[in-house]
Amino acid sequence: MPDRRSSIDARVERLARDMAQRVSRRSFIGSIGALLCGAASVPLLPVARGESPARASPGTGADPGDPQTCEYWRHCAIDGFLCACCGGSAHSCPPGTEPSAITWVGTCHNPADGHDYIISYNDCCGKSECGRCLCNRNEDDKPLYMPFKSNDYNWCAGSKVGISYHCSTARIVGIAK
Amino acid sequence: MSTSEHGTLRRSDVIQPRGRAWACAALALAAAVSGATARAQLPPDPAGTIEPLPPASPHWVWVNDVAFFAFPDGRAFLVDGDSGKMLGMLSTGYSFTGVVAPKARGLIYSPESYFSRGTRGARTDVVTIYDATRLVPVVEIEIPPKRASVMPMPGAQALTDDDRFLLIYNYTPAQSLTVVDTRSRKFVGEIEIAGCALVYPTGPRTFFSICGDGALLVTTLTDEGKVARSTRTAAFMDVLNDPLTEKGVRRGDTWLFASFEGMLHPLRSTPTGVEAAPTWPLFTPQELTQHWRTGGLQHLAVHGGSGRLFAIVHQGGPETHKDLGNQVWVYDLVSHRRVQTVAMRNKVGSIQVSQDPQPLLFACSLENNRLDIYDATSGKYLRSVDPLGLTPTVLVTP
Repeated sequence: MPDRRSSIDARVERLARDMAQRVSRRSFIGSIGALLCGAASVPLLPVARGESPARASPGTGADPGDPQTCEYWRHCAIDGFLCACCGGSAHSCPPGTEPSAITWVGTCHNPADGHDYIISYNDCCGKSECGRCLCNRNEDDKPLYMPFKSNDYNWCAGSKVGISYHCSTARIVGIAK
Repeated sequence: MSTSEHGTLRRSDVIQPRGRAWACAALALAAAVSGATARAQLPPDPAGTIEPLPPASPHWVWVNDVAFFAFPDGRAFLVDGDSGKMLGMLSTGYSFTGVVAPKARGLIYSPESYFSRGTRGARTDVVTIYDATRLVPVVEIEIPPKRASVMPMPGAQALTDDDRFLLIYNYTPAQSLTVVDTRSRKFVGEIEIAGCALVYPTGPRTFFSICGDGALLVTTLTDEGKVARSTRTAAFMDVLNDPLTEKGVRRGDTWLFASFEGMLHPLRSTPTGVEAAPTWPLFTPQELTQHWRTGGLQHLAVHGGSGRLFAIVHQGGPETHKDLGNQVWVYDLVSHRRVQTVAMRNKVGSIQVSQDPQPLLFACSLENNRLDIYDATSGKYLRSVDPLGLTPTVLVTP
């Protein structure tokens, strides 16, 4: 083991000395900066984020419970038909519907990792009600005069397809600080 | 024919005198029966008739139905509380919140939304004016397609105290009020109420909205329906820890709201605005520890004449402000004491009380398509209308 460590040390030292001879310090820092910025920007692209393999998988150990039930942890403040029962999922709309552009948010506790998450309850719009898995839970729900904390609004308001409400999703936005 | 006649004659020839008497009796009985049958024959009904409404009663109630499983098909059912009979219905469009009944009877106002293709296409919002004696639309007033699509509650629309202006809450998500002049039957304009919601009238030209920071926005209209004055009160409630539900009821110059934790907030209109009067608790500390709370869609009702406040209650603890209740607690608004407990036959989320001296208590819920009717004084259950509608919401007594 000591021999292998000294061997790695020697290789890194040789690489660093070669680079120091070929590359100026400013350009090196600049390259590292560009790499970091590029890496940081990748997950900000919406498509990349949507397709990220690290996305939460409802029903797994880290995201426990059944999104087709009212008891699923993300549904702590939902009011409506569960999109997971309507051809969508916990975070995506059923085919042919339009996700609402605006929404209300709740804070729900994930029993698997102990974190509180900000959950965005985007409605899916443009068709009549799905009519399946109606669920109303009101943790931290507030009255209509606090709109972005209220689940009594039809959040299809403001969408291109008008106020036709179909179902509601429960999308993780981030961890509540 | 001749063969039959001959045969009959031959049979009658052999009947003996005693047998003849029985035969006469039988014939007489048959004649009597056939005569009775003839009298029971029903005459044909006239075609194309329409049942007229009986004379209006203070025990009538409008049961508004958002039709949550069939949103484009809202309805308002008119029920006679004394007979438990459904008298008629209005068909009221998409995401329906409720009818508005002016003090001067004869008309019903209904803010409504429609899509040209049912659930898609061009959206048109209107105030439909119905003839309250025939239940037919007589006028449509087109308004901006901004009417808030919300869980129905009384503050979503209201008339000023003189019935002149109809005010309708908009959410696009910009917050505003549509103003309709019921005299000229025209859309007057829109009033911005940024940061505030809903409408609670306090006079012929005044009303308030509740704001997200715990204050009130008090607006005064001109006789043309434009804003004459708009002032904002200081915040009077803790919106984060114990907000008021927006389901207030009014007795005279005072609106009564319950907070999530059961504090009753009277808001009294004054010549200069609206003031928050001292609050008082609907629950004792012991009742709170037993998790008693108010809950429901229209969880308060008030009988103006007797000064009795009705509240739907349940045992559920914090954050159950929309849970249905199986009891109605009745409070005296002077002593602030609970004076009666009414056990509900079914869990309820909406209650309303008629305003006559022998009032009825109406009760329903979104989860149970029926209307239960009680004597509001004794609390005695009287009757039900079952089934009724799809998902009944707000009860309006004309």
